Amino acid sequence: MTKYELRIIKSKVISVILTFITIVSTFPFLLVLYFIMKNGISVINWEFLTSLPKPVGEPGGGILNAIIGTAILVTIALILSVPFGILAGIYLAERSETKIAFISRLVSEILQGVPSIVIGIIAYLWVVKPIGYFSALSGGVALGIIMLPLVIKSTEEILKLIPHELKEASLALGVPYYKTILKVMIPAGLSGILTGVLTGIARIAGETAPLLFTAFGNPFLSFNILKPISALPLLIFTYAISPYENWWAKAWGASCILVFFVLSLNIITRLISTRR
Amino acid sequence: MKISNLFVLIFAVSIFLLNSPFAASQDKELLGAGATFPYVLYSKMFDAYYKETGVKVNYQSIGSGGGIRQLKEKTVDFGASDAFLSDAQLKEFDAQVLHIPIALGAVVITYNLPGNPELKLTPDVIADIFLGKIKKWNDPRITSLNPELKLPNMNITVVHRSDGSGTTFVFVDYLSKVSKEWETKVGRGTSVAWPVGLGGKGNEGVTGLVKQTPGSIGYVELIYAKQNKLPVALVKNKSGKFIKPDLSSITIAGAVNVPEDTRISITDTDAPDGYPISSYTWILVYKEQNYKNRSLERAKQLVKLLWWMIHDGQKYNEPLDYAKLPDNVVKLGEKIIKSITYNGKPVYKEVGIK
Repeated sequence: MTKYELRIIKSKVISVILTFITIVSTFPFLLVLYFIMKNGISVINWEFLTSLPKPVGEPGGGILNAIIGTAILVTIALILSVPFGILAGIYLAERSETKIAFISRLVSEILQGVPSIVIGIIAYLWVVKPIGYFSALSGGVALGIIMLPLVIKSTEEILKLIPHELKEASLALGVPYYKTILKVMIPAGLSGILTGVLTGIARIAGETAPLLFTAFGNPFLSFNILKPISALPLLIFTYAISPYENWWAKAWGASCILVFFVLSLNIITRLISTRR
Repeated sequence: MKISNLFVLIFAVSIFLLNSPFAASQDKELLGAGATFPYVLYSKMFDAYYKETGVKVNYQSIGSGGGIRQLKEKTVDFGASDAFLSDAQLKEFDAQVLHIPIALGAVVITYNLPGNPELKLTPDVIADIFLGKIKKWNDPRITSLNPELKLPNMNITVVHRSDGSGTTFVFVDYLSKVSKEWETKVGRGTSVAWPVGLGGKGNEGVTGLVKQTPGSIGYVELIYAKQNKLPVALVKNKSGKFIKPDLSSITIAGAVNVPEDTRISITDTDAPDGYPISSYTWILVYKEQNYKNRSLERAKQLVKLLWWMIHDGQKYNEPLDYAKLPDNVVKLGEKIIKSITYNGKPVYKEVGIK
């Protein structure tokens, strides 16, 4: 009896500890959110969102160049990584036993672990040096490479989860193999693939290191993908290490926008994947 | 959702983007990178230049070392440095590089002490602080120079640059001239092996560190200290006078005979009222502009910009505490800009410069 009670007490103590630790582990995120809200919200206004930076040390100005820049960089990364990622993911799911699948799965897992600054240097060597210019394109390539393994992985995993019967039924009805993939398998896994893509965007939107020597930054508004371009994380980096208080405030404001963007992507991802 | 159509769409969009007018290089944009020392000035100048001409000059302050490196890689239209290239460095380039002086500035000693007192410092004391030999703010060697101040019993935290820097070059060039020990132990360069201290990235980073670290001391361009309301030290020059870095003392230090290629160090000036840690700051370009498939249009834009910077652009110098170029140096600058060629032909004639 006493032994039994002891076990109940032990179990209770441990579950209390676990609950406590779980709550504590949400603190860092909540604190980050609190500080960014506290310092950032007051900075954000119409001028901040719609005007360009002023010369160093002068008050006023905004971060429009960086918002547009991040949008363009993410778009380029999407164009480069999504088609390749989904196609590779399909291959890995369909031909998972082949040697090529084994090797490419391994390579993509390793690629996921490569530090982003290294990918930045690679984009510098592959794109910036041959073209001869820092450009939005090179930044997009770097971000695309970072995103690629995420898209491959999520596509592969989701396709593997789809019941075999679905595919067999389609084939049994005489639907060609490629149509089975395109019209049955992918639509069935679409929400999962979308989740992967959105997670990928959330990951790359905040990357600074791969942009330092590719996108390079630009105080002007630029839509040209062959010219240097600004980005939110780049701007936060430059402003945060500067000695100017109004630049610090702007860095907080920009962080606030970036965090909300990434947060809403994560929430959308959650909604999509729970609906499934 | 037809996935196959989606792929076709994505492909079409990417082809469109690559061929669209967005991607066409219109050469209404120039890219420069380098020194942080003149960044405040350049950022103002290029903002004004955009409003006047519609040409966007994108200047990234990555440090003089980075500017020189990127010019060598030919990824930028111009580099910027406050350390002129030595003969050995010039040989490392595969084509001739020109120095165009734009402004004069001062490297000031700034610090973070209670009450922001105005310190007087001698060259040997500065050298020993940055060598780590003077460790306390109330060291007798500092207090004897500033008898009227009550300095705290506080550790000195040295702040220096972490990146390749022209500001560093000017500062250690000065220290090497005034201290034998510095010259042998540390020497000259855009980045040196600092005996003590914390590193900050760019003039911005060093200013930020000094501002946030009580008891710290660092060296930055004058405007960074001014804009951030940090105190600056008076430095004893060769003639034995304590000189406050300001427009007039920088201008006086810059009034010297400058060689044809304008590569000159003006630290430790002989002028009795000159500030001893002053320097010219330069823009670096290739003499022959037709490299790496550059267009003539781009070369013309660059020449126009440089011409504007040493003439109309000079009016932005003094409000930001950079000294204007003396007349003799403007003349030299004109001559250098006129020597820029495209396919061997001078570019200035094509843009209406006489």
